[in-house]
Amino acid sequence: MKFAHLSDIHLGFQKNESLQKIEQQVFEDAMQKCISSGVDFILIPGDMFHVNIPEMRVQKYAFSMFRRVYDAGIPVYVVYGSHDFSPVANSVIDLLAEVGYIIKVTKATSNEDGSITLDFMTDSKTGAKIAGLSGLKVGKDLEWYQNLNRSNLESESGFKIFLFHGGISEMKTESGMDGDHMALSLLPKGFAYYAGGHMHKFNHQKFADYGHVVYPGTPFAGYHADLEENAKGQKRGFVLVEFEDTVKSVDFVELKNTQYEIIEVDANNRKVESVNLELNEKTKDIDASNKIIIIKVAGELTSGKTADVNISEIRDMLSNSGSLAVNISKNQLKSKEYSITEAKGANKDEVETNVFAENIGQLKFEQINLIGESGVKLAKKLLRELGQEQLINEKKNEYIPRIRNNALGILGVDTDDSQ
Amino acid sequence: MEDFQVVGQVVGGKFGDIVIRQKSGTNIEIGDLMVSEENGSFLILQVFALEYGSQIQDRMQQMMSGVNMEQGIVDANFYEPEFVNYVLARIKPLARVYKERGEVKIPKSLPSFFNKLRLISQDDLKFLQKEKDSIFVGHIRSGSKVIKEAEVWLPAEDVFSHHVLIPATTGRGKSNLVKTILWHVLDTNKVGALVLDAHDEYFGRTGIGLKDHPRSRENLVYYTPANPPVGANRMTINLQSVRPEHFEGIVDFSDAQFQAIRMAYRQHRKNWIRELMLTDAVQAGMESSSPSKSDFTAATMMVVQRKLRLLLSLEKDEEGVVYSRHEVFDSTTKGLTTVDDIVRDIESGKVVVLDTSRLGDEAELIVGNIIASKLLQKYKDAKASGEIDRKPVATIVIEEAPRVIGEDVLTSKNDNIYATIAKEGRKFKVGLTAITQLSSVIPRTILANMNTKIILGNEMKQEREAIIASASQDLSEDDKNIASLDKGEAIITSIFVPFAMPIKVPLFEDIVREKTKTESAGKTKVF
Repeated sequence: MKFAHLSDIHLGFQKNESLQKIEQQVFEDAMQKCISSGVDFILIPGDMFHVNIPEMRVQKYAFSMFRRVYDAGIPVYVVYGSHDFSPVANSVIDLLAEVGYIIKVTKATSNEDGSITLDFMTDSKTGAKIAGLSGLKVGKDLEWYQNLNRSNLESESGFKIFLFHGGISEMKTESGMDGDHMALSLLPKGFAYYAGGHMHKFNHQKFADYGHVVYPGTPFAGYHADLEENAKGQKRGFVLVEFEDTVKSVDFVELKNTQYEIIEVDANNRKVESVNLELNEKTKDIDASNKIIIIKVAGELTSGKTADVNISEIRDMLSNSGSLAVNISKNQLKSKEYSITEAKGANKDEVETNVFAENIGQLKFEQINLIGESGVKLAKKLLRELGQEQLINEKKNEYIPRIRNNALGILGVDTDDSQ
Repeated sequence: MEDFQVVGQVVGGKFGDIVIRQKSGTNIEIGDLMVSEENGSFLILQVFALEYGSQIQDRMQQMMSGVNMEQGIVDANFYEPEFVNYVLARIKPLARVYKERGEVKIPKSLPSFFNKLRLISQDDLKFLQKEKDSIFVGHIRSGSKVIKEAEVWLPAEDVFSHHVLIPATTGRGKSNLVKTILWHVLDTNKVGALVLDAHDEYFGRTGIGLKDHPRSRENLVYYTPANPPVGANRMTINLQSVRPEHFEGIVDFSDAQFQAIRMAYRQHRKNWIRELMLTDAVQAGMESSSPSKSDFTAATMMVVQRKLRLLLSLEKDEEGVVYSRHEVFDSTTKGLTTVDDIVRDIESGKVVVLDTSRLGDEAELIVGNIIASKLLQKYKDAKASGEIDRKPVATIVIEEAPRVIGEDVLTSKNDNIYATIAKEGRKFKVGLTAITQLSSVIPRTILANMNTKIILGNEMKQEREAIIASASQDLSEDDKNIASLDKGEAIITSIFVPFAMPIKVPLFEDIVREKTKTESAGKTKVF
């Protein structure tokens, strides 16, 4: 007997048309391989979609693919992930479940004493017993696990699978991974297979009382950083598991997506001109056609603004030479000359005032109203204006000009001239 | 007529050793706190010795006793006995409290001659107000009487960054005290703590413990090597986190052995322990001329391997994978981020308890060393970038502290991280909370740096002397007082308290019981 385990597909994440095609293609490849390898069922523990209600284009191909899997007689067992969760069962997951293409495995009841009881569902063909809990954003599902009644889950006999969506502290491989991880001990013990989602790299480990704990990782990309990892050679795919009474084998099935080129520039202790020179040098001769290009500039410049690192021209050049997409990462680029000094304050207003006051001295302008105390006041006014949210019933094309005109008004810029 | 109950009257003595006569019918104890009212202020004084006084000469008294016992004459009493025979108490001034300003100062004058004294009451201790972000250690104790309303709270950030020493012999209530302190540390995120729990007694795996704190889910992190209870973490540290310097000042390696270790680290970097353990020692020694191998002998290599094997409980399986028997160390892919996770938790003001009960002495200290080194480095970086103010103070709780800051350790080996923290951690908001039975073997320079000492009972004179000599307040008359401290009774001497405070630490179980849990069961419909 055999099952497939996929997770973190993030359908609908890609905004660029070329990447959307790859995203769709990879998903279809995965499903096709599941069908052709004759799996008995498929597990998807969360983040199948990037949001709970993705655009119609995404829903359309997802439905058509799941229809194909359904027609092949392969049940798909899922739990919500942190991205496609809906507290009111208002997710495309629920739509797919409603028409019977997929099966939500979470059978939980909230007891009066605050505890949660979870029941199994049994796969009719193999007899595998499946239970699971969804994932919530920023680890809010921790409370569920803390309040979980474990005895019935742990004492159940048979081949048991637990679906969960969340990072396990003991399986972290990099310190930089975001904070919402939970201890393995929060999962009920004694299952043969723990099908995990949320961690985007393949990871398979065994622990005492916790047979196989597996994350297949994303099959393509669910965060921008995933593309960077892909460019550095990270393999993507899903997991095929053979089992009888116990797990016989866990095999990673690689899915190819596309070709990449990564250009990394270390800007530490350098001037902006020298960084621009290296960027030009490194990009001028690369063959960009049909590749995803990742440009990463990181470090602290000794002079110049981070905005002066001239990437837009390079982006245009690479786009014109046939690249699928150009992803630029400047998140870790800072400048000594224009670094923001943080400041304390008793409340938000005070913090804002102090941060502006602390940093405004770095700026040199001829207009007196932009510096000193009046500069701080102006900056605060501007910040408040830019922080305005869209009004209910206000359309985007009304909202943007409203904010822009108000901001320009605060700056004292004549809007007529700017148009 | 006085409006307070007089217990004695000043009749003589000198500064620091004032003699009072006890009023008949009252019972003055060693350690009692008394108050002498003055104009606009009052003195708090403490009894440190008791003796008899009498208006009748010794010989006369002895004769009276003879009449009583030898001649069998019944009812032979002194005329007005309460007048002629009495108790003299020797007291010392602890503090002068100015009523209007509520200021507490070190006293520099005597109480008025013949002034009448009373026992201290809760109203006299109003200056002991709980300040923001402070930790509770106990109630003021006057002799054996506990003044429940007078709680002693210490300023957390100051106290922990300036190191805390808890000297006590076994059975005097030190685990109870540590648990009480940590319980209040859990209230906020203002103090991060790394607790090396050699007896696995703080978390409360089987009974009441820190896990019962209402905020334990958010603020308490527990690592244990085996069978972690629900929500707890498995303590697995990848061998990649271990570096040669972590052994310094803890393990006795010879120069040649250290050289072999450093060589292995240079060659294999993060995987040095695994590679070193898998190296064929004989072959490595034989091929000493080969440039890829070091020039140490097979014997050295074997000793290093044996020491590492014993120290970290390492074994290798048939596939050549190095593992540790107690599962704390891993050479594959487990525990790669444990050290970083722990440091991050401490930096966010959590209490991290490591169950090191399965580890040998040295392995426990190495685990602590790995984490403490990283923690100190991060706080140093934060100081350099001006962000130290935003970090909570961090403390490392370590039992049997002389293992790492004892005189013999520090003179025979290089400084270890604990000694470094004791010496310079204060600048970076990282401190030690050192528990010890043997204060006398800790160098004076380090003892003097421990600016808060919570002294529990100690029957060893040598230890009492070391504590008294390094106390923040003058305890020269308190030797007997310390010797007679009962279980749970303590004296706090600190630069952050106005005088050496006698306290009674409440029973941890009582604290837990008092704290009723008011958790709301969240209503969740969709899972």
